[in-house]
Amino acid sequence: MAKPTVILVGADKGGVGKTTVARTLLDYFGAHQTPTRAFDTESPRGTLKRFHPEQTEVVDVTAVADQMKIFDTLGSSDARVTVIDVRAGLLSPTLQALSDIGFLESAKKGQITFAVFHILGPSIASLNEIAETARFVGDANYFLVKNRINDTTFFEWDPKTYNSYFKQIRGAAEISIPKLNEMACEQVELASQPFVSFIANKDAGGQTANYSFVLRGYVRHWLGNVWGEYDRVKLIDLVAPKLESVRHQAAG
Amino acid sequence: MSFRNSVTIVASPRSRVGKTLLARLLIDFHVQERREVAAFDLNSGGGTLAAYVPSLTMASDISGTMGQMALFDRLIAEDGVTKVVDLGHESFEGFFSLASKIGFAEEAHRRRIAPAILYVITPDATSVESYRRLRSLFPQAVLAPLHNEIFGVAQHRDKYELAGKLPTQLPLLAPGLRRYIDSPPFSFTDAAMAASRIPPAVQAELQAWLRRVYREFRELDLRILLADLKSSIGFGS
Repeated sequence: MAKPTVILVGADKGGVGKTTVARTLLDYFGAHQTPTRAFDTESPRGTLKRFHPEQTEVVDVTAVADQMKIFDTLGSSDARVTVIDVRAGLLSPTLQALSDIGFLESAKKGQITFAVFHILGPSIASLNEIAETARFVGDANYFLVKNRINDTTFFEWDPKTYNSYFKQIRGAAEISIPKLNEMACEQVELASQPFVSFIANKDAGGQTANYSFVLRGYVRHWLGNVWGEYDRVKLIDLVAPKLESVRHQAAG
Repeated sequence: MSFRNSVTIVASPRSRVGKTLLARLLIDFHVQERREVAAFDLNSGGGTLAAYVPSLTMASDISGTMGQMALFDRLIAEDGVTKVVDLGHESFEGFFSLASKIGFAEEAHRRRIAPAILYVITPDATSVESYRRLRSLFPQAVLAPLHNEIFGVAQHRDKYELAGKLPTQLPLLAPGLRRYIDSPPFSFTDAAMAASRIPPAVQAELQAWLRRVYREFRELDLRILLADLKSSIGFGS
């Protein structure tokens, strides 16, 4: 049996698009027929659950009972991938808790595949989180996700500043999430649908909806670019290396 | 098989090559063929399609998302209406870039709408390159080259990859007739309007010119229909 994968999506700063990235991941694994479950730590409301209600459970990641619900079931769940959308301010405490319960040690030993998607906003405060997070991540797959929620450059115009944040962590990979057209973004919010359902013009009941073709086109183009980034960092190989290897052999 | 509704985009990256006249003629041709028509004008300034055919034309602006939705959502609506887009040269890049990004031609095909680009060919490098790019960007659309005879005998066809197809022709209108049809609003199918503006002696010449134009458009119709048939049975267009 393939070893389970846990992907932590988080940031200590709020409003950087954590849930948006978590949603793209659920859609991505869905498109790759990879069984995935999600935990939304925005207890008690849950934003991720609004978009992916069947896959998502709202939990309080600081509560031991809910930590057990997530981590004690990794081996027994049908899902190969567990995506945890960590709410603002809880990334460092969650990593500390994972360290305390020996989860990070298990990941280090290769018993679990562990990846952190650290969502970065266009501010120094957000970038300052990198060093703190990297302290825990160690040998895990650490992705610095530059979420371009506006026209930010992430200080690329200033190589000294840029390198001091993005080139200091050995083994960290960068992912760039392009900006989505604002109106398209709002229409998906209103629809409360996974991106792929919105693109396919389907409502919650699977019936044909009446979403704007232009806005669906914007979302399709954007999601294609996001998935292109996931392909570039070989995310699916990380999650299911053996399966992919077989698939590639078959294709070859 | 019945003719599917088409969306014809009259385009060129160049100004003053006869796009608006072509769009006007296309509208009247479709009206004469008893098709319901809607037209979209992406030109700025005066003397535009909306001024010539105000009852059927919507002025469009795709610089913002709302305007893009107003145009493209209407173009791919399954409403049985034949559509004509007069694409001003200022909107050429923005229109096709957006159309490619949002998958306009693919969606049109899914909805059984035949997309066609009526492209006015001119000898300049920009036009030649833009034509080549449209061919690769929109393989699902019929890309129909058109030569406007006002520019003389076409000597630049060899610059375009026409794949053996002859360009559609916009016949030359005698210079003296032009003034009768150039004041908006004007419809070629409005007999009363034509009678009030055009001397009887000239009307026969104008009608002869229109017949030539419509003959070209009928061939264009057939080209779109043939491409459509080929693509629906899997031969590509």
